Amino acid sequence: MNSQRTMHNAKLFLILVLSVIIGGQFSLVSAQNDGSQQNQTGRAGTFAIVGARIVTVSGATIENGTIVIQNGKIAAIGANVSVPAGAEKIDGKGMSVYPGMIDAGTNMGLAEITLAVNGSVDLTEVGTMNANTKAIKGINPHSAHINVTRVNGITSVLSAPAGGLMAGQAAIINLNGSTPDEMAVVREYALVINFPRIATGGGFGGGGFGGGAQPVDFNEAVKRRDTQVEELKKIFKSTTTYMRAKDAYAKDKTLPYPATDQKLEAFEPFMKGEKPIIFTAERERDIRGVAKFVSEMKVKGIIMGGQEAWKAADDLKKNNIPVIYTNVYSLPVRDDDDYDYLFTAPSKMAAAGLKFCISTGDTGPMVRDLPYHAGIAGAFGLSKEDALKSVTLYSAEILGLADKMGSLDVGKVANVVVADGDLLEARTNIKYMFINGRMIPLTSRHTELFDSFKDRK
Amino acid sequence: MKKITAYFVLLILLVGSFSVVVSAQSNNDVLIKNASVLTAARGTLENTDILIQNGKITRIGKGITAPAGARVIDATGKFVTPGIIDAHSHSMLDAINEGSFSVTSMVRTRDMLNPTDIEIYRALAGGVTGALLLHGSANSIGGQSTTVKFKWGHPVEDYPIADAPPGIKFAMGENVRQTTFSPPPGTPLRYPRTRQGVIETMRDAFIRARDYKQAWDDFKSGKTKVQPRTDLELKPIVEILEGKRLVHAHGYRADEHLNLMLLADEFGFRVATLQHGLETYKIAPEIAKRGTGASIFTDFWGFKLESYDAIPYTAYILWKNGVNVSINSDDGGRMRRLNLDAAKVQKYGGVPEQDALQMITLNPAKQLGIDKRTGSIEVGKDGDVVIWNAHPFSVYSRVDTTIIEGVTYFDRAVDAKMRMDVAKERETLEKLDINKAPGTGGGPPSRPAERRRGDRDDADNGDGGNN
Amino acid sequence: MLGLVAICLLYGTEAQGQSYAITNAKIVTVSGATIDKGTIVIRNGLIDAVGANLTPPADAQVFDATGLTVYPGFIDTLTSLGLPSAPVRPQGPGGGGGGAAAAAAAAALQPASNSNYPAGLRPEDAAFNEVRAGESQFEAVRNAGITTVLTIGRTGIFNGQSTVINLAGDSVSGMVVKPQFAEHISFATLPGQYPVSLMGTFSALRQMFYDAQRLQDMQKAYAANPKGMRRPDADRSLEALFPAINRQMPVVFNANTEIEIVRALDLIKEFKLNGVIAGGQESWKVADRLKAQDVAVLLSLNFPKRTTASSPEADPESMQTLRLRADTPKGAGKLAAAGVKFAFQSGGATAVGDYFTNAGKAVEGGLNRDAAIRAMTLGAAEILGVSDRTGSIETGKIANLAIVKGDLFGKEKFVPQIIVDGKVFEQKEAPKPTSGRPDSGGQGGTPPNAGSANVGGMYSINIDVPGSPISGTLNFTQAGSALTGTMITQAGTAPIRDGRVTATGFSFAATVPYGGASLEITVQGSVSGNQVSGTIDTPQGAVPFSGTKNP
Repeated sequence: MNSQRTMHNAKLFLILVLSVIIGGQFSLVSAQNDGSQQNQTGRAGTFAIVGARIVTVSGATIENGTIVIQNGKIAAIGANVSVPAGAEKIDGKGMSVYPGMIDAGTNMGLAEITLAVNGSVDLTEVGTMNANTKAIKGINPHSAHINVTRVNGITSVLSAPAGGLMAGQAAIINLNGSTPDEMAVVREYALVINFPRIATGGGFGGGGFGGGAQPVDFNEAVKRRDTQVEELKKIFKSTTTYMRAKDAYAKDKTLPYPATDQKLEAFEPFMKGEKPIIFTAERERDIRGVAKFVSEMKVKGIIMGGQEAWKAADDLKKNNIPVIYTNVYSLPVRDDDDYDYLFTAPSKMAAAGLKFCISTGDTGPMVRDLPYHAGIAGAFGLSKEDALKSVTLYSAEILGLADKMGSLDVGKVANVVVADGDLLEARTNIKYMFINGRMIPLTSRHTELFDSFKDRK
Repeated sequence: MKKITAYFVLLILLVGSFSVVVSAQSNNDVLIKNASVLTAARGTLENTDILIQNGKITRIGKGITAPAGARVIDATGKFVTPGIIDAHSHSMLDAINEGSFSVTSMVRTRDMLNPTDIEIYRALAGGVTGALLLHGSANSIGGQSTTVKFKWGHPVEDYPIADAPPGIKFAMGENVRQTTFSPPPGTPLRYPRTRQGVIETMRDAFIRARDYKQAWDDFKSGKTKVQPRTDLELKPIVEILEGKRLVHAHGYRADEHLNLMLLADEFGFRVATLQHGLETYKIAPEIAKRGTGASIFTDFWGFKLESYDAIPYTAYILWKNGVNVSINSDDGGRMRRLNLDAAKVQKYGGVPEQDALQMITLNPAKQLGIDKRTGSIEVGKDGDVVIWNAHPFSVYSRVDTTIIEGVTYFDRAVDAKMRMDVAKERETLEKLDINKAPGTGGGPPSRPAERRRGDRDDADNGDGGNN
Repeated sequence: MLGLVAICLLYGTEAQGQSYAITNAKIVTVSGATIDKGTIVIRNGLIDAVGANLTPPADAQVFDATGLTVYPGFIDTLTSLGLPSAPVRPQGPGGGGGGAAAAAAAAALQPASNSNYPAGLRPEDAAFNEVRAGESQFEAVRNAGITTVLTIGRTGIFNGQSTVINLAGDSVSGMVVKPQFAEHISFATLPGQYPVSLMGTFSALRQMFYDAQRLQDMQKAYAANPKGMRRPDADRSLEALFPAINRQMPVVFNANTEIEIVRALDLIKEFKLNGVIAGGQESWKVADRLKAQDVAVLLSLNFPKRTTASSPEADPESMQTLRLRADTPKGAGKLAAAGVKFAFQSGGATAVGDYFTNAGKAVEGGLNRDAAIRAMTLGAAEILGVSDRTGSIETGKIANLAIVKGDLFGKEKFVPQIIVDGKVFEQKEAPKPTSGRPDSGGQGGTPPNAGSANVGGMYSINIDVPGSPISGTLNFTQAGSALTGTMITQAGTAPIRDGRVTATGFSFAATVPYGGASLEITVQGSVSGNQVSGTIDTPQGAVPFSGTKNP
């Protein structure tokens, strides 16, 4: 009797434990498998949006024009463009056509539910040196975030891994496709390095919790940063050594065969400056540290974060380092900072002649707010034109895609959105959208849940 | 008091940039001229003046003449809304959770107000004039809330709205159950760990409170002789049962909010607000029937499992069902853009403009029981207004001036002036010997003070005594 | 820095009947006019006579104090002198971390108790029961001219009841000037149990005050007529609060920032306490309220000072920090101008010399010089309730005297003789220093602890992240003062870096994945018994943690 009860309890306990551990994942899977949002990749065709205001971004806005989408590309744009035979005509009256927006700083598809649903999170690999891990191998093409994001006019994103010193390689994807390959724009675009920073704990990022943060001794923090930078440089050194050994072996097969190190091998193109490295850095001193590092190591650098990039504009410009600014929504970190410190940073970057774009920096769910990040920067000193460019053409430029997207130009990929107003306004609705020339259904997990419940009595 | 004086000095220094006639600031009378006034009650009034006297709105109309001593603000081309009210905030709290017990109704956020929190000023710069400061969501029944106006620069006792009904935080779901993480082996688990346990914890508290009230009733009627203990935990729960204290209930899943409302039915009270309530769209009729409010995010979602079913159409569905909806921030960052969160409500479902605006003004005022005094621009209400350079639902809009009871607490021009003044003050302060780094002049390097073992490193702030 | 190595000699008035006379001295009586050249006669530990034209008694041992000034023995109104262990002070606003650390230490320090209340909430703890005699531990402080101190531990929410002692004597019973002065309260928290937050601390205090009031009423009723009434509890902890709620005993709140002081004033008002503020760094900002509520301040002379070197990469210091340093020395003058009663205290952690030099800075900051001296003598005695016996140079008062050479507030000040309860201590000026050793500041009695704490093992911790407390595990391997291991939370496992073991705890850094990004954190903690507590500094701010060692 007793032992039976014990058995029973043990079983019950096991079930309880299991349900706690895997409960999250179960409901997640079921959430992903229900509804029609699976594989909503839209349809190909020839489309002509007629009589619309066409905001090309790269050139003048056409107040009443036509844009033709064919074979996945923008085939024609202009005030007097003829609609090809067989094209599906869309009345653009009262509408504005824009290039699809690009968020250059997300973790799209890598984390469905960040908090406490670890089974859905593929953000951070173990270890500090992960040059070989690639976001494109972790991106879930069926993440609910994707449809939710694109129906707000965002057609492409950079999706980056996070954590560690060398977090891994970021991918650029279109927000459409049934497989990572279908989505990929650039599979392995840039390596993400969380640049070592002076972390005193008490200052930057302090405040907020009301406690007296006890800062680490500053000079101690500087030393710690320097040590970490040295570690980073060591990776460069070992890669150089490794490459030399390989080259030597290639020329002289009598030499011992150098064992393959896939991490160092993966790092090679970034070290050589063939591909960019995205350095996360926020404050002036750390950003200047990146600039120094970029110059010293002769790599191609991009800043992600960039709260105080405008203060280091000289160093950044000298080293051709653009900025992916992710902080419009952030609270200024010091009490003494102006209330609009992070709202005005984009306008200050523009004034300093820095190349920058605006990003949400969001994991996934709130990437759809990208236009409002840009809009708020527009309220605080950035021109409306630059605000729009900062989420379209400027992002494309920084991602090396200005020849393919970011503006409405003939020959570019047909990532196009049609809106009933200013693209950056919160009340504007997206009426049509195209990714790679495919007309995308304006549905998402959210519209589907809405439809299910809106008439419940 | 110092800050406030300094502020008025600044205001007076700056009269030029206001195109203002200031004779005396003593009465705080303000006349806002020629604005587009989004009243949040009676539509939008174009080219309209608002007169605020002794802290109250006394006239709304055209061509109002400024009484003697009133400050006049020319708001031509600008927009005026009621001050935004955030029905879910933890700003200015030095502690948010008393995470020990699952019922901590004895603790009060009022004790933790810190008027030096810079978030207050930043909220004002986003047009927020009032907020419900809530205990965190660590417990089934959390602490008592405080309804405040953000009177930056004032002493702490000026913040709470004296006639606001008292409130209390309830919470359900992942945070309360403490299941978003696995405790290390050996750590005792806190009851409750399940949603059903949370409801029973609440029920238990209500039953204890009922017994407690009985004990006092018996004593008061002379049936018992020994005065019962004053129980700070149960007193506020008795107030809930008596309808004197508002329940603001954190939760995400529809079923658990429904279960709470059923529990409230059982004990005969009305839940004031369902906080977060990101699935409230699933139970809109049940909420409407009870007259319970919902205080939600417009579109924040997907940050945890229980927010995965959230949709941005929630406000619309609730509104259509006649539920009083407010949009809150729960965050010092988001608090600064509640105007855009209200704009999004229009986008997702098509709630009319005024109804959307009410979700950040009049509706939260109603939920907090302060709508008699604030939440809309109407004669007789407090002069809590915000002047915007553009339509507040536009991303390109900015707050120019935030006024509470006729007093300006944020103004872009004053802010710009303050930056210069602070820069000058910094220059002066940095030159003082006491502020010079050791070894950079200003006397011999001072040796760090002797510290006892166990003292934490206070770095630059000295130990400052015994605390 | 004056290169004085203080050598203390017991000069001795061992023969109890013999008198001692200080002649030709400038006498700052504080209670009356200063005598430019006069004599003080001491007998039986008391001031027997004082005056300009006094002839020393025939039996007197005479000290010619020509060129010297005699002050009443100085009083430090808040110390932990004579208490057995170096106390850990709770930390400032927010309380959490330091408070938890303090309470953890308290739990370990305090003897087992059968109180209904946990360590940290036991107002019955009395310094009187803990203080130890032994003159050597007071030497450094006494040599500076301080003869009398208030002493109390600083752990827990209720620090307990303080005691006023003279800094000389062979036994506690002989040293004590006033066994119980006040109940002391810190806005601290308890580790791992209610109240774990500063918010809970206020509610816990309130509930105890209410319960004490009720218990007192019931005990009175029972004493009057026990028949037919259930016997009320005999609750030591609550009973210890009776004098406080009856205003027979002051209640001292450790509070430095304006908001802390305001919170203390609110509690004082709510429970009609005879309140006192200790610390009071920003008390000048609420001088009007202090005056209106008649609340005195034990004002810390531990003024904030800059200790960090400048660095080209460092942020400018915050305005708050810059202002605090500039404003603090001016506070005393402002309190005086507002009519607030205050007395000075050393602030616990400074070099004792700062007590005098910073009082001098208060004078530079606008405080009247006489008022400054008063705040170190008679004014202090008044607040401590001992002005009928000490604090001034008057016939019949305790012979507590400091004979000072040079400017009292100057760096060259020297105290050749200190007299405590009539007992004369002499120190001689040392020859000029040969080494660059700085002054002998610092308080005696707490020998430095060499070596490192023992922190290895596994700890279960709770991290008080506002809004969503999380738990985790610390896994420590200690090798001497080096620390390695991991920190495990819901976010994952992070190896610790730069781990160090200090005398009482540890520090380390780690990179923790969090919310889709990674957080650089630094952790400082202290270990006491099986309790661990401390602070995690994140880019988003500091959060306290506490926990226990897994067996």
